[in-house]
Amino acid sequence: MAEPILDIQNLNSWYGKGKDRVQALKNVSLTLAPGEALGIVGESGSGKTTLAKCVLGLVTDYQGILRVNSSRPQMVFQDPYGSLNPARTVGWFLEEALRASGVRDRKERKARAVDMLVQVGLTEEHYGRKPARLSGGQRQRVSIAAALIQGSKLIVLDEPVSALDVTLQAQILQLLADLREKYRLSYLFISHDLAVVYQLCDRVCVMYHGQVVEEGDVDAVYDDPQHDYTKKLLAASLALD
Amino acid sequence: MERRKNWYLTLGLALTVLSVGYSALGLFWTPYSPTAISTADQYAAPSVSHLFGCDHMGRDVFSRTLEGASATLTIALAVLAIGFAAGLVLGALCGYYGGAADAFVMRVCDAVAAFPSVLLGLVVIAVIGPGKYNVILALGVLFIPSFARLARGEFLKYRDRDFVRAARLMGVSNLRIIFVHILPNTWPVLLSGLTIGFNNAVLAEASMSYLGIGVTPPDTSLGRMISEAQSYFATSPWLILFPALVMILMILGVGMVGEGIRERLGDK
Ligand SMILES: Nc1ncnc2c1ncn2[C@@H]1O[C@H](COP(=O)(O)OP(=O)(O)OP(=O)(O)O)[C@@H](O)[C@H]1O
Ligand SMILES: [Mg+2]
Repeated sequence: MAEPILDIQNLNSWYGKGKDRVQALKNVSLTLAPGEALGIVGESGSGKTTLAKCVLGLVTDYQGILRVNSSRPQMVFQDPYGSLNPARTVGWFLEEALRASGVRDRKERKARAVDMLVQVGLTEEHYGRKPARLSGGQRQRVSIAAALIQGSKLIVLDEPVSALDVTLQAQILQLLADLREKYRLSYLFISHDLAVVYQLCDRVCVMYHGQVVEEGDVDAVYDDPQHDYTKKLLAASLALD
Repeated sequence: MERRKNWYLTLGLALTVLSVGYSALGLFWTPYSPTAISTADQYAAPSVSHLFGCDHMGRDVFSRTLEGASATLTIALAVLAIGFAAGLVLGALCGYYGGAADAFVMRVCDAVAAFPSVLLGLVVIAVIGPGKYNVILALGVLFIPSFARLARGEFLKYRDRDFVRAARLMGVSNLRIIFVHILPNTWPVLLSGLTIGFNNAVLAEASMSYLGIGVTPPDTSLGRMISEAQSYFATSPWLILFPALVMILMILGVGMVGEGIRERLGDK
């Protein structure tokens, strides 16, 4: 097997200091191969976002092994209304990413920004727009474009479709699947919706109280869940359908 | 709702343009020398040759309000330039980074803001002496805390937004995030604060000149003119009427612009 793009061994993480210090991750181990999509599921407060923050370097209070073999892993956020700068145009934001990675030529920046917009299903017409003039789905497409434009191979997605309605969810999930194949991206895909994870991911990790309680191929976990908590989660999601 | 918002902003802008235009005119042109004394014209009532009349020394009040308004405007703008620029930088850094330095700076700001700026201005002027430039310096420094507090609140509001996180993940430097990513989002609030600051600066300058610790002769300002005119209010009311009118229009105009901005903000 190729060297993993993400390798986590016995990761522990905490919030707060002194006697307020609470452990948010307990002995989490997981790996992610290049081109693979790993789903992270678990109820609210189980530590999913904390895990994402560790991978992105946004949490410093941790112990254990955390190896990221990708330049600047990027994140797609849950709320499409907060992840774009309201005062700046879509094009400016995308170009800002290129500027930060050292692309000096203005023409090249613009060409690459427009190209990226097309890749995520938008057009040049959206280049000059501010986020207020985009729909939720379009905004999420822009966020995805911003996450990809620096060429990062590791993308962390924290509930990227849970704020969207069902038809839009399907469209965005299809886009994510297409982009993964095209650019050979690795996804760390956080969700509490098992159906969504089943659609997009190869493997899934089930988290419970800061621990990984079950891990395996999505089919295996869905057909034959081992842990009680996974069974409960599955039953709950089936009851919803 | 729509109509009222436009009404504020439109009338405010009109008054502002009028009073600022009037003050700007005073920088280049006055019909008479504002300091030319003429015993023949003492207490002359408004007439065609002296539109706003003449004062106790026979000086042309129209010329003096032109010069006084331009002095008041430049002082207020210079005070804002110092207070706003320093307050913005300080507040932006405090709000964005937080921590012990932020707590310390804000404690100092609270302490300064606990006293009326005119009172503190009095103390500062007592130390560094009166005069136009000292007034600018004293008030400018004293205006820093309120702008710092305003800017801090705004930057605090934005620093944990996802778009700021996204910029950090992209590798954008913190200073660029502060001044290029966050700052444009804060302009409406800061501008509205700036209009309040402008009026406070005009009033503070007027109060200080009124107390005789502001602009010193032969310089003049609207506040200084009002102060000089109070003894002649009963017999020659135009001496106080015209400078007061110019000041009121200026404050009213800028205040209404600020109100218009705030209403537009509230609509969002
Ligand atoms: N900034 C913080 N300070 C203190 N505790 C925190 C902080 N963020 C999260 N926690 C705690 O850490 C634990 C894990 O939180 P985390 O945000 O990772 O959960 P999550 O699985 O992402 O939940 P959700 O599905 O609601 O997003 C929770 O118990 C939470 O209360
Ligand atoms: Mg979360």
